[in-house]
Amino acid sequence: MNDGGLENRKEHGKSQKQSKSSKFNSKSDDFALAIAKVAVAQVCESVGFQSFQNSALQTLSDIIVQYIYSVGKTANINANLAGRVEANVLDVFQGLEELGSGLGFAGASDADRCVVNSGIVRDIVHYVGDADDIQFAYDVPQFPVVKEWKETGSFWEKGEEPPGEHIPNWLPVFPDPETYAAQSSEGNETMSVLNGEKSELASFETKMERSLLNLQQRFACNGNEGGSSRDGGDAGRAREAAESNPYLAAPLHFGEKEVEVSPVVLPVKLSNEVALRNIVSENCIVGNHVSVLETFAPAIEAMKSGFHDSENRQKKVLHNQRPMVHFKIETGKKSLGSAPNLNSQKKDLEKIASWFGNDNEKYDKKRRAEKILKEPMENCQELAQL
Amino acid sequence: MNHNPQSDDGKHDDDTALSDFLASLMEYTPTIPDELVEHYLAKSGVQCPDVRLIRLVAVATQKFVAEVASDALQHCKARQASVVKDKRDKQQKDKRLILTMEDLSKSLREYGVNVKHQEYFADSPSTGIDPASRDE
Repeated sequence: MNDGGLENRKEHGKSQKQSKSSKFNSKSDDFALAIAKVAVAQVCESVGFQSFQNSALQTLSDIIVQYIYSVGKTANINANLAGRVEANVLDVFQGLEELGSGLGFAGASDADRCVVNSGIVRDIVHYVGDADDIQFAYDVPQFPVVKEWKETGSFWEKGEEPPGEHIPNWLPVFPDPETYAAQSSEGNETMSVLNGEKSELASFETKMERSLLNLQQRFACNGNEGGSSRDGGDAGRAREAAESNPYLAAPLHFGEKEVEVSPVVLPVKLSNEVALRNIVSENCIVGNHVSVLETFAPAIEAMKSGFHDSENRQKKVLHNQRPMVHFKIETGKKSLGSAPNLNSQKKDLEKIASWFGNDNEKYDKKRRAEKILKEPMENCQELAQL
Repeated sequence: MNHNPQSDDGKHDDDTALSDFLASLMEYTPTIPDELVEHYLAKSGVQCPDVRLIRLVAVATQKFVAEVASDALQHCKARQASVVKDKRDKQQKDKRLILTMEDLSKSLREYGVNVKHQEYFADSPSTGIDPASRDE
């Protein structure tokens, strides 16, 4: 690429990032590599180049990253050899000497030289004296950004009694039991019947789903205090979110759900993880936690095991949930406008399989948004099939 | 540390020179930003609370890049001088100095870095064209 402009290059480089064989081939390093590219481009420009080949720029920036890394490593080793933890300026000079020894520098062969007097240092001093002062093109923030980690207090701090004598009280508290245990006895009955039918993996998944469900249920309950009065607000916001680009939607506060859109698709859409999360907010808004949970539980499990086995149950559940749907037909219509995805259950299973592989939260949100938009079409199809 | 009085003066000079240099480093802002250098130094295990050390590494890196780039520039100019004919477009091309992989790999070889670049990929439409004029 023979771009002349510096502004384009950074975005261009970022978008055209190819996999490198260097040991820094990780996604977390992209930002630093992009900055390095810009810096290298600026230096080369000052030397006299007018444009660069993209691959040459990438190679050179990769090399200087390795250069910095090896200088640091050598300096660290030298410091450790001298019994220190923090690197010294002399350590750094020695590291630079090691790197420059391949090419040779003045005074390299002297046996008794002082590091400070070496040719490397003199070269650098001359360079600082001669070179122009070029500011880096962008404002670089401090990175990597360290996320604040909220500590869960210990038993002693919280004043709670550890649930067993063998557990010392300086350990952190256990998470709330609802997050990892089944919620109610009625639910348990149906669930145990269903659990017997399925494989271990599926039941494990359901337990995880249920615990997630419970956890979010409780968060949602804490967040949504106002019950039905929030319906209007949620509905309005949901409509907006559905209309606009989901990626441009405003960020959520803690306790909110992305899918206030859910009330639309919620009752008919049972085969989706999103539904489970939405059920949570729906429950809180409507106010009957347990009953909805237990009605959905069979459907949840049925979804996992197979579509056809649970048709009847689905019908029943659909029936029960009909009254909740009374608003949101417009959103359904709008979703029709989006690209309909007429995949069958295979896609659902794929989704389910991908749930536990996704670490990236943003990717999750994206997928959820996509599912929301596609769901009504699928449900129309499912209904037709039923 | 030897306490020889004669070498003490020498050391003193060296120290002052060094501290002067480090002070001058603070005035000179290297093109490579401090945050980037700090990030990679931290990655390699260097704990240095001193900004001057980071600046030092940044300046050293910048010097390295400048050397490599100037070597590549010389290669580029040498190639252009040898290739130039009476055609007009070559003379116009003279003004455009492009950092190509070829020049870069030549100059990096002297530093011990072996960079091999593919001549061409068989499925590209610009297969076999002169690398200097090829768009990537």
